[in-house]
Amino acid sequence: MTAYLRSSLTVVWFLLVAVTFVSWWVGTGGGRGGSDVSVSITIAVVAIALLKTRFVFSHFMEVRTGPSWLRASCNGWLAGVALILLAFYEYRLQAEHFR
Amino acid sequence: MWFFVIGDLWIFACYFIGYSYDRAHDASAFLDGQRLLSPGMGVLNTAILLTSSLFVALCAQATRAGDITIASRFIALGGTCGAAFLVTKVIEWHAEVSAGFPPSTYPFFTYYFTLTGLHFLHVLLGLLILALGWRELRKSTKPRAEFVEASATYWHMVDSLWIAIFAALYLMR
Repeated sequence: MTAYLRSSLTVVWFLLVAVTFVSWWVGTGGGRGGSDVSVSITIAVVAIALLKTRFVFSHFMEVRTGPSWLRASCNGWLAGVALILLAFYEYRLQAEHFR
Repeated sequence: MWFFVIGDLWIFACYFIGYSYDRAHDASAFLDGQRLLSPGMGVLNTAILLTSSLFVALCAQATRAGDITIASRFIALGGTCGAAFLVTKVIEWHAEVSAGFPPSTYPFFTYYFTLTGLHFLHVLLGLLILALGWRELRKSTKPRAEFVEASATYWHMVDSLWIAIFAALYLMR
């Protein structure tokens, strides 16, 4: 088991967990406290989450060695969620604010 | 399995549309609800699921290499982490319900319980699928690598969904 645990997948896992702590720090205001609506924090935490998901897709799910339709489907989902949680949300936020 | 996984990912994306629409409509009310969550528990949930995904990915590697005993240990470890996720989620829900966070008071909690509840059901199904993979490794003299890989694929989808849910519910502002 130790030989398997020494693989590159463990390095990916370590990075994913480390980045989770970074996103926690960013999402809670970087130690500065405060919890107002923040476009920059939303962009940062969603971007980190989608990057993490891409790593899970490519390394754990092994999508990077899969057929092109599979890579396109997974990238399409990531782009769709980015569009929903960033572009759509921020557009609606601005529209509500200036209504 | 891939068609099922991609379909499921898009179903959750539809929930994110509703969440983004309603959250933008009343961002400060959603933030009031979000402040009542414990982001530390969200980080713990994420770390547990990422660890389970590592074990399941290593299980797929070991299966292909023919190390069946090691593969069955890795899939069992992955399943144990999945069960630990369910336990931490139940503890978290219990604390939130005991503190009195009804959806009617905080619109945020309607989405919170819906998204985390649906994800919880996916984890339960994922554990069942991992158990089938484990049985394939333990009982079969020539385990089907593609069967174990399909179980792993479903489990990684459960992990991927949680990463997006964690950002949307616990962190975005």
